Amino acid sequence: MPHQAALTIVAPVRPGQSESLGALLASMGDGVANGSVVDFGAFTGVHFARFILVDETRDLRGEPLQALLIYMSDFDVSSRQHLSELVEKAAAGIDRLFGHCEGYPDAATLTPEIRLASLRRYVISEQARYVNTIGRTVRQVRSEAELRERVEGFLDGRPQDDGAGDPVAARAAVQKLAAGDESLRWALEPPEGLGIGFRLKELAHLVGGILLVLILLPLLLLIAPVFLVLLRLHERSDPAPHVRPPPELVRELAALEDHLVQNPFTAIGFVKPGLFRRATLTVVLMAINFTTRHVFNHGNLAGVKTIHFARWVVLDGWRRVIFASNYDGSLESYMDDFIDKISWGLNIVFSNGYGFPRARWLVFDGATDELAFKDFLRLHQVPTRVWYSAYGRLTNANIANNARIRAGLHGDQTAEQTKKWVEAL
Amino acid sequence: MNPELHDVQGLVARGYGTLPAARFLLMGLEDRPSARAWAGSLADAVSPGDERPQDRALNVAFSSTGLQRLGLAPEIIALFSHEFVEGMAAPDRGRILGDLDRDAPEQWDWGGPAQPVDAVLLLYAKGAQGLDALEAEQTRSLGTGARIVRKLETSDLQGSEPFGFRDGISQPFVEGLSKAGPPATTLRFGEFVLGYPNEYGRYTDGPVLDRAQDPGGLLGAAPDDSGRVDLGRNGTYLVFRQLSQDVGGFWRFLDQATRRADGSSDPDRRLRLAAKMVGRWPNGSPLALAPEAPNEDLAGANDFGYHVDARGVQCPVGAHIRRANPRDSLDPRPGSDRSLAINRRHRILRRGRKYGTPLGVDEALRGGGQAEADERGLHFICLNANIARQFEFVHSTWLNNPKFAGLYDDSDPLVSPSHPYGGTFTIQSEGVRKRVRDVPRFVSVRGGAYFFLPGIAAIRYLASLT
Repeated sequence: MPHQAALTIVAPVRPGQSESLGALLASMGDGVANGSVVDFGAFTGVHFARFILVDETRDLRGEPLQALLIYMSDFDVSSRQHLSELVEKAAAGIDRLFGHCEGYPDAATLTPEIRLASLRRYVISEQARYVNTIGRTVRQVRSEAELRERVEGFLDGRPQDDGAGDPVAARAAVQKLAAGDESLRWALEPPEGLGIGFRLKELAHLVGGILLVLILLPLLLLIAPVFLVLLRLHERSDPAPHVRPPPELVRELAALEDHLVQNPFTAIGFVKPGLFRRATLTVVLMAINFTTRHVFNHGNLAGVKTIHFARWVVLDGWRRVIFASNYDGSLESYMDDFIDKISWGLNIVFSNGYGFPRARWLVFDGATDELAFKDFLRLHQVPTRVWYSAYGRLTNANIANNARIRAGLHGDQTAEQTKKWVEAL
Repeated sequence: MNPELHDVQGLVARGYGTLPAARFLLMGLEDRPSARAWAGSLADAVSPGDERPQDRALNVAFSSTGLQRLGLAPEIIALFSHEFVEGMAAPDRGRILGDLDRDAPEQWDWGGPAQPVDAVLLLYAKGAQGLDALEAEQTRSLGTGARIVRKLETSDLQGSEPFGFRDGISQPFVEGLSKAGPPATTLRFGEFVLGYPNEYGRYTDGPVLDRAQDPGGLLGAAPDDSGRVDLGRNGTYLVFRQLSQDVGGFWRFLDQATRRADGSSDPDRRLRLAAKMVGRWPNGSPLALAPEAPNEDLAGANDFGYHVDARGVQCPVGAHIRRANPRDSLDPRPGSDRSLAINRRHRILRRGRKYGTPLGVDEALRGGGQAEADERGLHFICLNANIARQFEFVHSTWLNNPKFAGLYDDSDPLVSPSHPYGGTFTIQSEGVRKRVRDVPRFVSVRGGAYFFLPGIAAIRYLASLT
């Protein structure tokens, strides 16, 4: 079974082209992609995808930064295959979009090979990623959702007599239903596990990472006091202005939100100037990537269960970081989750960002300054006009529960286990 | 910090339960100097929080258009919460509040884009006569500054709401206000009034001004020791929604859903399903404590949690009161102090009143007739310091959300829209769950607005604007 991969394309927009590119993106969706220009559903195994336009701006030193067209997606095939499908299945749309970008060849000279090579030049790697459940494919998510619909409908249709509530009888009836139906028989088998090759590779990565930390431990302990002193010095002197987002921005963002049960979040911000913050952020992002890969890889990001996919990508030679995620529920509940459950985790990363509420010892305060934190997020959000979700009416809780329903259909169960199983219905 | 109850309007401290007659006057403000004079007269007339009124009470709140009409500078108005400034009828709020289709602001009787409301005058008295007298007095002082655009009458249903269930049982304990509760369920005063620490130990942002903007020196100090003054101090946000309840539709739906095999009504099952939807029996006893039958001794019981019934076998996960106040049932670790701490950040002070004549279950089941044609429902009023985190969160993340607590297609069966999603009600049990499908919406929105209920000094400040 494949594991999910990701693609990030960052292309500088030619001067003067932002407006027409913005208009093109606006025609492609109002928060949810409408399938015009690029039909994301046509690509194999895409979970989520988005196009955003980052306006031109100036960095903290006042140097100009070009506008950027950014594409981000999460999928079940290899990045190479996904990129190929982009140029094969959406060539015209890709040309229209990236035709606004620096270095994209003229339409007259474009061949499939040149198109692919041109796009590949814009591809950059993510510094850190989060996948809710590693190895869970779009196909599995969708077919298990369908299974659950069928099972629930079937149970509703059974005679509601005194025996209807009996778990063992219900399970047997559902198994019989699946066995007798060609389109459901797959559900009687357990889902395909992750490939042995992938699992070995991950294990090697885990062991290698731990060994590396152990080897470096004496050095790290040596550095620690110096680091902590520097950290506190920076934290005391870093400016932390509380800036409220302009109402027009909030309105624009709100118009794009809450169309499905999930929402996209995209935010971009400057890294605080200086080597110290850059070095800290480098290590932090490496550590995040390591822990999301090996620890928080099954439905739970340190207590937050609503995130499907997330990524951190560094831009402009570490001057900026972009954070993108796909989450269940409203932005207000997402932000409250952050503050109430993983403010420490947010602080570790984002307190290296310019304008973040003042943190202490890298983990304390910061995001717990509720309104300052919420305003910081809103202020740095980029409107995600073109956003695709392969299963926009399913939350992570639903998806996990559907998997439970399916998992309970095969093998022997004690009456006690079956009683547990019907709780998923 | 001790609450300055003498400067807080009385509605924060009490719901005026001893004054059963109430009327809400929705106002439009006009000629600016007269409107300010009117506001000035109110500053002396409104009931403060430190006095228990004997036979009448009066409070006033302003919408953001009202503040505009009084001449408060746009840059000061912008300091209030975004939700308040934009208003309840703002585009895109409908998706958060579920105000879509027939509940869209365009369809409202008041508060929609065509009928904005600038202020609400809340009148309370012991009886009809006293109420009329209070209204007459207030009407005389209107002058050319304000006019009544709509009068909302209320009725005293003796503690029940129109569907027939005892109401208003669960109110948060608030530090500095009357009753002291257990620490785990007692909220900081700043959750309900600006200028005081909230549940995060912070001050909610508000209209903090330079001293120069308060030449009369009317306002109290800002809480941040900056030497500035605080127009928000002792004020709070008042959420007002007129919710019409289809009592006939409610009971007839339940009756149909619980018929016996021979097609006859089954009153016991009907009542049971109603209680499952609400989470309490009509007398108020909670299913969490009285799962099998109503219990008179538990009629006002409010000291319970849900984590012992994580599954929802006693009180369904999607029941109205379990969503409006999930208590200890949500992540992280249901039953823990952390779960309760998160719950404390999403509470509201309810101050609503019912309206319309009561309709008994038998009348409701018979259907038709003049009695049913009369509109009845709830003038929902709540107070909170942070509309987004309190009222809107409860409304959208807990009540309206079909995905609440791991559910799929279950929005609140009693009060939430069931279209296009959310019309399923799942009743968990020891064995296989039961589902009630295609639950229609029994409540519709007839009007609404976000108001600011200022401190009394702040009303004087608004009256003194030049």
